[in-house]
Amino acid sequence: MSKNIVFLFLLIIGFCNFAEAQTTSNALKEETNIYEKVFDVPLQVVDRQSASFDELYAQKPVILALIFTRCTGICNPFLVKLKENLQFKTQENPFQVLVVSFDSRDGISDMRRLAQNLGLEDNKQWTFATTDSISRLNQSVGFEPIWDSLRQQFDHDALLVGINKEGYITKKLIGLREQADLELLIGSVNNIFSPTYRLPNQNSLFSCFNYDPVTGKNTPGLGLLFLALPAVLTTLLLVFISYFVRRSRQKRVQLN
Amino acid sequence: MESIKIRKITSIWIITVLTLFVASIVLGILMRLNQGGVLQQTPITFYSNMTIHGITMIGIWFVAGMAGINYLMERYVKTSYTANLIALILTVIGVLLLWAVTLIGKFHTAWTFLYPLPLKVMWAKWATPTFLVAMSILSVGWLIWGISMMTQVLKKYSIAQAFAWQHFKKDPEVKTPPFILISMITLVGVITCLFVAVVLMALYFAEYFSGGSFVNDALLMKNLTYFFGHTIANEMLYLGLAVIYELFAEVGGRPKWKTTWYVALAWNFTLIFILTAFFHHLYMDFVQPEGFQIVGQLASYLASLPAAAVTVFSVWVAVYRVKIKWTLTNLLFFIGVAGWVIGGFGAVIDATISNNIVLHNTLWVPAHFHTYNVMGNVLFSLGFFYWFSIQFTDKLVSERFSKLILSLLIIGGAGFLLAFYIGGADSIPRRFSNYPAEFTSAKFLANFGAAFATIYLIPILILFYNITKRCLKILFSSSS
Repeated sequence: MSKNIVFLFLLIIGFCNFAEAQTTSNALKEETNIYEKVFDVPLQVVDRQSASFDELYAQKPVILALIFTRCTGICNPFLVKLKENLQFKTQENPFQVLVVSFDSRDGISDMRRLAQNLGLEDNKQWTFATTDSISRLNQSVGFEPIWDSLRQQFDHDALLVGINKEGYITKKLIGLREQADLELLIGSVNNIFSPTYRLPNQNSLFSCFNYDPVTGKNTPGLGLLFLALPAVLTTLLLVFISYFVRRSRQKRVQLN
Repeated sequence: MESIKIRKITSIWIITVLTLFVASIVLGILMRLNQGGVLQQTPITFYSNMTIHGITMIGIWFVAGMAGINYLMERYVKTSYTANLIALILTVIGVLLLWAVTLIGKFHTAWTFLYPLPLKVMWAKWATPTFLVAMSILSVGWLIWGISMMTQVLKKYSIAQAFAWQHFKKDPEVKTPPFILISMITLVGVITCLFVAVVLMALYFAEYFSGGSFVNDALLMKNLTYFFGHTIANEMLYLGLAVIYELFAEVGGRPKWKTTWYVALAWNFTLIFILTAFFHHLYMDFVQPEGFQIVGQLASYLASLPAAAVTVFSVWVAVYRVKIKWTLTNLLFFIGVAGWVIGGFGAVIDATISNNIVLHNTLWVPAHFHTYNVMGNVLFSLGFFYWFSIQFTDKLVSERFSKLILSLLIIGGAGFLLAFYIGGADSIPRRFSNYPAEFTSAKFLANFGAAFATIYLIPILILFYNITKRCLKILFSSSS
């Protein structure tokens, strides 16, 4: 017996040594740098005077989008989706959108062309800019684009950063997000407290509760079934065993 | 009567439990000495020790209770030796893996392994999957054991009889022994929380092997973790109580306790309350709906009432102005009940939402759970171990020696626990490997606790020697 135990022990350790761990999820990435101050970089703004970041956010809270114009991936759909989501937004809670390129090859003319392509060149709510201190800005908001020399492209998140009038990061959104998430972002840059909200999660299927930010109410989720399942299984097992033993007892009596 | 095989396997369980108990106490003392500044462990060593100390203590006192009720259950029904053996083999494998994971792999999430800690690998790469495998092995082994015992009870008693529902009427035809009632109630709770463990492990494995494409819901994982952890830590106490209900009167030379309507009612309610009390571990999780927090507080209060009140009343009636034969066994049981009740009060204080805001994550938490374990459940099982070991020998521990053992247990245990309680009341946080200077009394209290834990260890070593020697004789004896 002891030999078998040792063998099993070594087998399990050997197997586990080849197992791979998970990677960090978006939900955790969105939680970094919150309530930290954004780095005050100088900005070259399309069709406007150059300004520093603090001058900009002091006027109105900022929603910062980091993109690059040569992107063949997420940047364009990301900005189009953002424009769509914001087009019917009233100015109830003021904010401005600042689009900054994180690619040093992008110049002010590239950013102007981008604004024109999006039909936003005359929209006062949108500002397109470049900066010569992009690495400091990236670091302060927790944005880490990785250069892929093979594809000649950056591998990066579609990141929106909410910055309030004091220059603090109040909320971050990663990926193409819906209107409800943007409402929370706009609320947060205007210092409106959101008691609860769902983090982006690949597995919202197993959540205990589904929070509705519009009504502020929770409805039961599938996760609650996982909590109830063990008690249900035990009850079923109890009934099944009881039935099974009674039946086998009756059979024995009949045979005798 | 029980078979020789059951006798021998019970001896192996006892020797295993006592050996691991001594090792875990030593780890605990080293941790307190490190907090007191006498020893200099690295934080990783401290937290690895804390992890294996917690897991081992929970595991051994759970299997001690299971082995106890398995042995005594043979008086009423035939139990499965195979299931007992499977549980033993899987427990040995599980424990070896857990010790390797923490001491070699430096896995250090604490025994509560709260999500997502086990998945944030800060230790040997193999340690996380091995930990999950070890926990799965233990869960499956104990589940087989629990289901097997429940099946044997149901072979003789119907569901209604096993839960003593016929006692709600006058003069029931079939009388359910209290031991069967409590064992059944506890086994149902144990099986439920082991099913929870299986679900929890499955979700951990799913996330671990998904490479990041599957992420669990943190609230669900915390609920499941405490559904399993809190419940198993409580059920092991009830396993000990089943043993007391069976042996307390018998050892004292008194008639056996009987099931009455209020005993049946109390224990049936206990099953419901104990399975819902775990919500009190989520008071700080504001996303948990308020209704669950209220259920957690109510269940915590109510869980302690039926079982504790009825047991204390039964024990009190059994000893008050009654001439009984006091032995080391029933004295350990008696002191154990007192320790269990005191620890229970500490737990209820902490489970009250307004108090929890102050006491949460302070030394009050280890204070209360060490009370009902160190001075409660451990004594229940030690009482059973001693009683079991003397069944097959004439040589008893002398009365003077018994007094010495009990005195050292009480002095050592009380001093050790007092350091935790004072620390908790002084808002000293728990789970700190080293205390900063701001916590002025923390280091002194840690060393004070370590000194008294060492006093507690002395009678444990005496009992370890005494009981193990007899169990080895039983193990290697060729006949009954």
